[in-house]
Amino acid sequence: MIILAGCSSKSAVSTDDTSGAGYGSGKGDGAGAGVSVEDMGQGGRAGSVVGDIFFDFDSSALSSEAQEQLSQNAAWLQKHPGSAVTIEGHCDERGTDEYNIALGERRADAARSYLVNLGVADGSLSTVSFGEERPFDPGHNEEAWAKNRRDHFVTK
Amino acid sequence: MRNTRIPFIHIAIALCCILLLPLRLRAEDAAEYIAIRKEGASRIAIVLDKTASDGARQAEWARSLDNTINKGLDFTGLFNLLPAPLNIRNAQGGALNLASIASVGGDIYAGGSVTKKAGKPVLEMHVYDTSGKSLLARAYTGDETQLRAIGLRFCADLVELLTGKRSVFGTKIVFVSNRTGHKEVYTCDFDGENVVQLTNSNSISLTPVISPDGNYIAWTDYTSGRPDLYIKNLATGAKVSVNKHGVCISPAWRPGTNTLVTTLSYQGDQDLYLIRADGTVERRLTKGGGIDVSPSFSPDGSKMAFVSTRQGGPQIFIQDMNSGQARRLTYSGTYNTQPSWSPSGDKILYSSMQKSGEINIFMINADGSRLLQLTSGAGNNEYPSWSPDGSMIVFSSTRDGKRKLYVMNVDGANQKPLLRMAGEQQQPSWSGSK
Repeated sequence: MIILAGCSSKSAVSTDDTSGAGYGSGKGDGAGAGVSVEDMGQGGRAGSVVGDIFFDFDSSALSSEAQEQLSQNAAWLQKHPGSAVTIEGHCDERGTDEYNIALGERRADAARSYLVNLGVADGSLSTVSFGEERPFDPGHNEEAWAKNRRDHFVTK
Repeated sequence: MRNTRIPFIHIAIALCCILLLPLRLRAEDAAEYIAIRKEGASRIAIVLDKTASDGARQAEWARSLDNTINKGLDFTGLFNLLPAPLNIRNAQGGALNLASIASVGGDIYAGGSVTKKAGKPVLEMHVYDTSGKSLLARAYTGDETQLRAIGLRFCADLVELLTGKRSVFGTKIVFVSNRTGHKEVYTCDFDGENVVQLTNSNSISLTPVISPDGNYIAWTDYTSGRPDLYIKNLATGAKVSVNKHGVCISPAWRPGTNTLVTTLSYQGDQDLYLIRADGTVERRLTKGGGIDVSPSFSPDGSKMAFVSTRQGGPQIFIQDMNSGQARRLTYSGTYNTQPSWSPSGDKILYSSMQKSGEINIFMINADGSRLLQLTSGAGNNEYPSWSPDGSMIVFSSTRDGKRKLYVMNVDGANQKPLLRMAGEQQQPSWSGSK
């Protein structure tokens, strides 16, 4: 499995570790020999291939930036009909752990519905919520939180 | 999973093995004693005498018992512990001078001796009031390895005698810690002693809760790569999973039953479902309207407090289990979660994210009146859980940096760390003993 992780302020890391344990810890560096690495630059920016999308606090609403990124993601998926994508919903560390698992699922579901409406085959998409358990940035400030409130797309 | 079925069974056996031999049990009706407690006194002023002993081994036992009893009584926050006045005895080994305890502000005297009978320690304890009236005279016998259990059994009897209520002694707290690098489920005694790791999933284990009868534990686990619910029989080790599509999170047992309520999303929304201990769905309790999560039951099991986003941000609602009718409980604040219904039935604790971003613990009457803030200015305070006797609250706090567990009295007083343990600790749930 290849994870294409695009996020701002950090170089993209590809890893075969689906646990996400490498996130933000630097453990992904040097791991996964033989795994293709694709630098996608600023994650979430329109134009990235299957890039992350980001959310406001306690919200699963898709911003216009998120919708643009999802359109890009949909285009890529439709060009690669054999690919399957897992949409991971994530939250920042604030708020209740179990509530955030539910919120993360709503974020993943929101992206899934949007992609299906754009014509992506529903069967190629799956979702999982990690709540606040797998932050991309372990910081305790708004800069970190903004990166952590995301949908992350794992292709295989 | 390792070490899983040990703690509850063993504690239960340990407590059962302590023989209670009434010497001359003259304990008066507890209610009568409570009536004579000083009006307005927040704590019971008790003179706790050193346990007398004769012989080196017995002296060792006495030190251990004194340590257990002192720490145990102090932990409750119910007592003002006073050392015995110098003139408590008229002469070495002489009669007690009970009038002297008033001179150091004491209302109650407790003391006794430990002897060796058939190789086993026997703790004989006596409790008097200032008038010299005997309130309790009881002998506790156990193995040498059970000194802590012996001391705590006396503590439990003393609290019940003086307050008319059950105590925290003998109860357990289940919680989550990441000390191994993964979040796993642990238990400890009421006072943070005897930490035991229950899961070894090398995944993410979350929100453990013990069933009211102590036979089952339920928790959420990412072993399969998704948040599934697991229900384990602690006696047999048998484990079932609820792995419905979507999330299976935030379980809470319904009192008086072996059923639990948990959030599932396989039918779309994150709704609450009643689940049997075998993992099958009994019925759906909520439908639509956003997230429904974090259930907590009234002690009679007839009502369920929970978090819902049906009116916008997360707020606490109460639903009648028979009629299905729900009403909103919290109106102050925009992010209210994690309700915990008191064993007495009249109060509900919850955590609230305030405008400052700080999360604090609040207490509100189940009818929505009398809102009280219990924590403030000390990091984020979350996940309140009542002790089974209703006298204390365990919660997590970041007041010292990392998330750790703390306890406090129900009025918010006496806040202190529960245990010293590597890593972070969170999601405590206080459970009764078997």
